[in-house]
Amino acid sequence: MATRIGVDIGGTFTDLVYYDDETGETVEGKVPTVPHAPEEGVVAAVSGHVPRAVIEKAEFFLHGTTVGLNALLERRGAKVGLITTAGFRDVLEIRRGDRAEMYNLFWRQPEPLVPRHLRLEVSERVKADGSVYRPLDEASVAPALAALQAEGVDSIAVCLINAYANPAHELAVEKLLRAGGFAGGISLSHKISGEYREYERTSTTVIDAFVRARMSNYLKRLDGRLRELGFRGTSLITRSGSGSMTFAEAEERPFETIMSGPVAGAQGASEIATQLGIEGLVTADVGGTSFDTALILNGQPQVLYEGVIDNMPIQTPWVDVRSIGSGGGSIAHIDVGGLMRVGPRSAGAAPGPACYGKGGTEPAMTDAAAFLGMLGPGKLASGINLDFAKAKAAIEPVAAAIRQDVETTAIGILRIAASSMANAMREVSVEQGLDPRAMVLLPFGGAGPLMATLLADELKMNRIVVPPLAGNFSAWGLLGADMVQSSARTRIMDLGDANLAVANGILADLFAEVAARGDHLEHGTVRSARLDLRYKGQEHWLSIDTPLAGDAIAWTADEAGAAFAAEYLRTFGGTMSEVVEIVSIRATVRAPLPRREQVFKAADAVAGDEIFDAYSFEEGRRMPFRVVPRAAITKPLVGPAIVTESTATLYLDAHWTAETGAKGELNLIRAEAK
Amino acid sequence: MLDRTPVLHRAGVARSGDAAKADPITTEVVRHALNSAANQMKRALVRTAFSPVIYEVLDFAVAIYDPQMRLLAQAPSLPMFMGTLNFCVEEAVKNVGGEANVFPGDMIMYNWPYGTGSHPQDLAVVNPVFLEDGELIGYTAIKGHWLDIAGKDPYCTDTVDVFQEGTIYPGVKIYKRGELNDDIYRMVVANSRVPKFVAGDLNAQVVGCRVGATSFQEVVRRFGREAFSHAVEAMFDHGERVVRSYFEAIPDGRYVGRGEMDSNGITDDPIPFEVAVEIEGSNVRLDFTHVPETQAGPVNCPVPSTISASRVAISMLAGYGEAPHEGHFRPVEVLTRPGTMFHPLPPAPCFLYGWPALQAIEVIYNAIAKALPTAVPAQSGGCIASVVYWGTRQATGEPWADGSPHPTGQGAWNGGDGGTMLHISESATRFSPIEVWESKNPWIMDKMALAQDSCGPGTWRGGPGIDFHFRMTEDTYITTAVERTKNAPWGLVGGGTARPNGAGVRFPNGHFVSIPKTTRFLVPKDAVLELSTGGGGGYGPPAERTKEAVESDLKAGYISEAFARANYPHAFE
Repeated sequence: MATRIGVDIGGTFTDLVYYDDETGETVEGKVPTVPHAPEEGVVAAVSGHVPRAVIEKAEFFLHGTTVGLNALLERRGAKVGLITTAGFRDVLEIRRGDRAEMYNLFWRQPEPLVPRHLRLEVSERVKADGSVYRPLDEASVAPALAALQAEGVDSIAVCLINAYANPAHELAVEKLLRAGGFAGGISLSHKISGEYREYERTSTTVIDAFVRARMSNYLKRLDGRLRELGFRGTSLITRSGSGSMTFAEAEERPFETIMSGPVAGAQGASEIATQLGIEGLVTADVGGTSFDTALILNGQPQVLYEGVIDNMPIQTPWVDVRSIGSGGGSIAHIDVGGLMRVGPRSAGAAPGPACYGKGGTEPAMTDAAAFLGMLGPGKLASGINLDFAKAKAAIEPVAAAIRQDVETTAIGILRIAASSMANAMREVSVEQGLDPRAMVLLPFGGAGPLMATLLADELKMNRIVVPPLAGNFSAWGLLGADMVQSSARTRIMDLGDANLAVANGILADLFAEVAARGDHLEHGTVRSARLDLRYKGQEHWLSIDTPLAGDAIAWTADEAGAAFAAEYLRTFGGTMSEVVEIVSIRATVRAPLPRREQVFKAADAVAGDEIFDAYSFEEGRRMPFRVVPRAAITKPLVGPAIVTESTATLYLDAHWTAETGAKGELNLIRAEAK
Repeated sequence: MLDRTPVLHRAGVARSGDAAKADPITTEVVRHALNSAANQMKRALVRTAFSPVIYEVLDFAVAIYDPQMRLLAQAPSLPMFMGTLNFCVEEAVKNVGGEANVFPGDMIMYNWPYGTGSHPQDLAVVNPVFLEDGELIGYTAIKGHWLDIAGKDPYCTDTVDVFQEGTIYPGVKIYKRGELNDDIYRMVVANSRVPKFVAGDLNAQVVGCRVGATSFQEVVRRFGREAFSHAVEAMFDHGERVVRSYFEAIPDGRYVGRGEMDSNGITDDPIPFEVAVEIEGSNVRLDFTHVPETQAGPVNCPVPSTISASRVAISMLAGYGEAPHEGHFRPVEVLTRPGTMFHPLPPAPCFLYGWPALQAIEVIYNAIAKALPTAVPAQSGGCIASVVYWGTRQATGEPWADGSPHPTGQGAWNGGDGGTMLHISESATRFSPIEVWESKNPWIMDKMALAQDSCGPGTWRGGPGIDFHFRMTEDTYITTAVERTKNAPWGLVGGGTARPNGAGVRFPNGHFVSIPKTTRFLVPKDAVLELSTGGGGGYGPPAERTKEAVESDLKAGYISEAFARANYPHAFE
């Protein structure tokens, strides 16, 4: 139901997946990313892989992009001025006083997005309870504006102390800036985030002001190009906190998309987990330069409410995806003490691993895998022919340095990479008090299926599900992204029935605010609310999903308190006899996209079965592996085997069996305990 | 008669396996796995702790040790605790009767300052870890700062012996073979002004140690005891080589660094001290024997923290950004003399042990600068500028307490201006947001701003210090522990000095009282606590700072025009 096109821009490739409602087909494609004009890569993917008729009837275009993120990382954004409360213009530079690299004596905080001479103060002060301590001196705004205009700023961020508790002064400043003739973008902190913590809120507000124009231009250009190709539906972009928003909404709240890069994969994992009824699932997204892992419980990714990009905090919901610098391109090297390390430096797309024959000479993880035969005979579906001699030549110097042969060194490169990936996976699950051994592994990304059985072995997991379109899984995940809008506000007060009524008043405001943001509510929406609660005196809180009756929380204070205590017990193993307090109220409106049926048709022609010698980690020796196209697996396939498909290669070690499931997934089961 | 013969301290020289039998790949995998186990301990602790001192200020250390009490791995936490935990483990185990008297499920509490290196508030929980067959494979240990342990005040700068500083747990089993020792538990709860927090944090330390033990057991089981112990030796050898390779590049010689404490907390006399760094090949010896006698006030630094300060200084410099383990400590020898302020003996007061220790780190850099000035930065503000506050809330009658370190300017180095952040001895710590403070504490902040002209001038300038003004809205008691107020942070290679730290209270009538180091000082409603943290020293002659950089500093307001003309006249030519 509802034809849709998903395009996910990665560092190396732009991935496309579309779903045709009429045929029930899901089709994938891949083109190189165009770093200087990413929309051109999108256009190339769409025009190259999607028939005009499908483009014209598509209802949704779903997009994952790192345009905003890259603007931030590369510091290519607007010239921003910042207006703060008198006495506090350095909040952005002082931060929280910590070092991102704690063992680095020479670490220095990055240059703030707004340099000091563009951070100006106005006279006003609001207290934590929202009462006005010092009224806004309107006369103090004009000089600040004049100075910023003289500097030619493109946009102005306004972040006043305690504005989360009372936004009146921020609104008044906005009015005065407009009255004073400022025509550029104005970002008010209380509209960006209703939560307390002035540094984090200022950082988020400034990021919004910094990326907004660039994001807006990009989205407008892209939408225009799509229309030229015949697209007539709704364009959506993924949110960091899962779900999607319309391009128009994203132009208003671009910071909500900044951390959306790895979200599509987690989104797809949630959908698969729901379809297959998997309670606990850990993802392993192995790309060229990074490894992302997320925990999916009962079909839901874990959402956090503050993230960090390049040492800058962002106060917005984001899916908890942990990244480490380890992937197919990670380079093995010898450190100053003579030990072999793998990554975080990567061969990237250019020159790429040595075995790709594009000029790379350093040993990447992919070279080790190729040398060991894990990628099969060498003709990758992407058109690359593996050069085994180059792989070997790249590994030799490292092997000599640690006085091992090339075979042992190659095995070592994979073991070291797998162990650091496994540690990240262990940490996302153990943090929730869960044991990864009882969970299912979902590998995807170009090198995910290659590492699957190794990772499962590291974590003693017995079941792996390789999703359909594993190499393009993030783009597939995009197709299921419901439209979501959310808003939150901090109001610290004891949990009691009277204050719950206050919370309900705030909740009604938040729902009204969300409704005012966009025109996306035509699909029949679902509202939900959360309360952030904690024991009085604590700093950290738990976010509790609360049932709604209409727009109001359907709980009494006692019921809310009991739900909090139960969650606290589950998470921390005990409770306290302290007063519970409300910290923040969160409102979310979700407009589900029409559900889609799934029928996977393999794009590959079925080639003949062949035998190839490869290294088995389970057996600790080289042995014959069957090489089988994924589409040819109609009955249980007993490892060792190498399973090929168009965008990824699955390494199925000995003692593992693969079987195609009802939804097109491959179920890998460990045959016996070793 | 007290034996004053200097004592030489070396790290982990024992061997339990054979590095030659380890393969480099297993070594790297074991190193990852041990660090991951330590990180899991830390997460369990942070998520279950009750007090912000643990979960926000990260005033703790978590680590895993082998049976020889050599550091296998630790999670990023408080650097100053890093090098002390092995002493806690050694003493805790010795005091309960040695290795023969520890059993699965035991948890030992230990906080005797001369064994932990800290004040009594820093309490270690030590958990012996066994495999199924009963073989001891090592220890997991967590030392954490407890909010209150029934000293004379919640935080003290004026104690005269250790017994004023808090309750002592000289190695007692809070759990025996997995069973809670209720007698000890009730003692713990009875000996605190904030029993709920203390009980909660003790529980969090126990949970963290258990989580670590489970992960540690898994690592050893996975590789097998023999292969594991070979890999550990290879890992230590590797860390040792990393640090040695650094010191080989520094010219041999004896270099003396000098520091000075403002006072001992009882009298106001400054206390100069010196630390000599002796480099011979790749060996480093830190000589603390030429330091003053044990002080009458609490600025004595017990030996474990003297050694830790040395380890922190060296591993920050020569560890290439890695989490240190025992191997990194091996090239470092520390020499102390009993009866001095860096080797005090019971019952010398040591509540402010951290202040000489953190200054010693920079004194060591001051010495190394004489060998190779490009290797180190100029001095920072030189303190963590701590304030602890408490009182009784007017509206509710509830007691409240809070406390925080504060950032200072950091020293410039060859190639970079200094930033502004917490002292390197608390490099992972964050201070609270103003909006969080104001939502719970009775004050309004008037300002938190980088202080103009506070940075040391130089080719590379130091980072600016900060002015914090807390206007109290209710009567509040404070303890301030702010050092280096009498001496300006030093520059290097011709770089200038910076503004020193200061702390005082401005009363509503305008009267100002300077109180850098004071205990239980009443700040009445409407008075303002003014904390002015120091800047970082400059590096290289100011005359060589580029004109553009001077102009940019002027434009930003980091410096005034008068300051610029005085220090960088060339920029106005």
